[in-house]
Amino acid sequence: MKQLYVCEDSIMGIYSAIYDAWKESRVEGDNGIRLIGQFEGELFCEYHIVEETTHKAMAVEAMMKKHIGLDAYWDIYHALMSPAPDRADAVLGVMQTARTLQDPRKVMQFLSHPKVERVFELSRMVANEAHFFVEFLRFRELENGILFSEITPKSQVLTCIADHFANRFPLENWMIYDKTHQTYLVHESRKHWIQVLGEDLNLEAINHVSRAEQEYASLWKAFCRTIAIEERKNLKLQRNNLPLHFRRDMLEFQAGSR
Amino acid sequence: MNQIMNTKRLDMREDRMENAVWHTGEKSDLSIQEKLNILTDAAKYDVACTSSGVDRKGDGTGIGNCKASGICHSFSSDGRCISLLKILFTNECIFDCKYCLNRSSNDVPRASFTPEEVCTLMIEFYRRNYIEGLFLSSGILKSPDYTMELIYKTLYLLRKKYRFQGYIHVKAIPGASPELIRMTGFLADRMSVNLELPTAEGLRKLAPHKNRKNILTPMRMVQNGREANKEELKLYRNAPQFVPAGQSTQMIIGATPDTDYQILNVAESLYQKFALKRVFYSAFVNVNQGRVYRNDQEGLLPVQGEEGPPLLREHRLYQADWLLRFYQFEASELLSEDQPNFNIWLDPKCHWALKHLEIFPVEVNRADYHTLLRVPGVGYRSASRIVKARRIAPLTFEDLRKIGVVLKRALYFLTCNGKMMYPVKVEEDYITRNLLNTKERLPDSVSGITFKQLSLFDDVSFQKENLQEVISG
Repeated sequence: MKQLYVCEDSIMGIYSAIYDAWKESRVEGDNGIRLIGQFEGELFCEYHIVEETTHKAMAVEAMMKKHIGLDAYWDIYHALMSPAPDRADAVLGVMQTARTLQDPRKVMQFLSHPKVERVFELSRMVANEAHFFVEFLRFRELENGILFSEITPKSQVLTCIADHFANRFPLENWMIYDKTHQTYLVHESRKHWIQVLGEDLNLEAINHVSRAEQEYASLWKAFCRTIAIEERKNLKLQRNNLPLHFRRDMLEFQAGSR
Repeated sequence: MNQIMNTKRLDMREDRMENAVWHTGEKSDLSIQEKLNILTDAAKYDVACTSSGVDRKGDGTGIGNCKASGICHSFSSDGRCISLLKILFTNECIFDCKYCLNRSSNDVPRASFTPEEVCTLMIEFYRRNYIEGLFLSSGILKSPDYTMELIYKTLYLLRKKYRFQGYIHVKAIPGASPELIRMTGFLADRMSVNLELPTAEGLRKLAPHKNRKNILTPMRMVQNGREANKEELKLYRNAPQFVPAGQSTQMIIGATPDTDYQILNVAESLYQKFALKRVFYSAFVNVNQGRVYRNDQEGLLPVQGEEGPPLLREHRLYQADWLLRFYQFEASELLSEDQPNFNIWLDPKCHWALKHLEIFPVEVNRADYHTLLRVPGVGYRSASRIVKARRIAPLTFEDLRKIGVVLKRALYFLTCNGKMMYPVKVEEDYITRNLLNTKERLPDSVSGITFKQLSLFDDVSFQKENLQEVISG
């Protein structure tokens, strides 16, 4: 009978579920992973509630890095950041498939396998979305000099974009707030970035922008208007390149000044 | 006494020089907002706004880094990306190029930045993640050398004072001294000299102050500088880099009667002989339409009507340009003397494939990378994914779709395990007809009801000859 492992929708939960499933069977199809609240009951299978521990998560992470290599792990990590309910199941499938290959490090090239294909698709989706936020994220300078930004991503992209911004603005104090998942990325000048969960946002502080901010915001808006060539106007192309749902957090598409 | 006078005069001259470098032209009362508007408006016809070609991590002492892929930060209402702060340093230009809005004989508002202004604006935009770097171009203020020196000063401040490590694209001013261009090259990531027009004759007519030699000289210099720099870097890993992202150029399309074949050949030789990274094509927008001057000859520039700039032509040239750079095509394969212009309806790759149906269909699981690249609907990324994936298991059409192949185009040219996706005919007319349906659509033979069945008047024997008979009879 198929064994299904039910876990929390978090990296630690998923890794713990992989740990439990892996322990019982390493053959694809014998078992699967479901996320709490994101699955429908199936017949002819047994459900197990997974107990989350840091130990399990660390063990699974180390095993993946060791056996399938950092490149494949990169894909798996990105896939796990997506909101798809079947992502944990697909990752388990990839690991089980990797065992059957001569060189498990090449598992992500096995694109004709449905589970590998799914992880590839999810990882590409998340990496693309993360790249969009590298492009379209806008900081505003608060009164205390901190650069602050809010984004509304579908996937949990914060950790995927953190290194980029930390390297780009090493001397700045900056913070990115993920409105969808209520998580924060905080970077203090000359230090490593950290991810913060479960804190409340001080709404008053983030709406007090510095004096220079107004000026540069309006300069930027004017720049975006002027740079367009009227004779080439093509709003459809603009929508193709910059879909509307990104625009709600982008300064140049907001009416009026903040 | 005389000596004292002399030294005094010398002091005064130095003073003036200092002032001249820092405050260009007459002191103007324009606000930054006005200057930015004027100089952005003047720079917008420059097409190259890429930030690609160099990977550089920040060293932690300043601000900025570079990504080889380039990063677009926004898109303007014409659909083009906004990646760099694209401005002219000044539009107070002494040249009188007929196609340019900033030509000296035009009466337009003029403005100049100071190096310090450009730096502040650039850094403040950059730290808000508005932009990826600076694109600094310029009109010719006073003399080419004078302008180039101001540009150098700006870059020097950005790199040394602000420790900016992001992307900088700068124009090499034709006619500026080699030493200045060399020094600027060590601070910039990409340099470009605009070729302006594809042929020397066109340039002579439309840009009387420029000539081919003046444009090609700095281009050759940058190329030689880059090659010399490569050798230096082999010896000393930390030697300063000279124009690490390479150089680019741009041509105006449609201002002169040159054919696509000529343009593409020029581009190809620029890639081969000058080792350019990119050639940009800019559909001609007649900005000076309606402005008539006494000295102007009539009919030099095409009049633009309702149809606007030749955007489709520009698009086809870019498609062909990609084929040259990434798909191992040659200009002579795509066009010829007899057929000097691109097909309006089909992209150059489809067009080429239709003319070479003898090599199609190719087998996905066996064809080499080079052949896969030539299949319409297969990009260079999907081609390399195919090559890797088929080592593990044979591929089917469903797999190809997931890999990223555009099957609506590719299905006429591919077989998987010896079978085509649908029973289609490998015939030029048939494939052309189906490819022209831009929306995803199944070929006639699959979707039960065909056009032929629907049309009462469509007789198979109703050919051209028969038609003539009918008319004459």
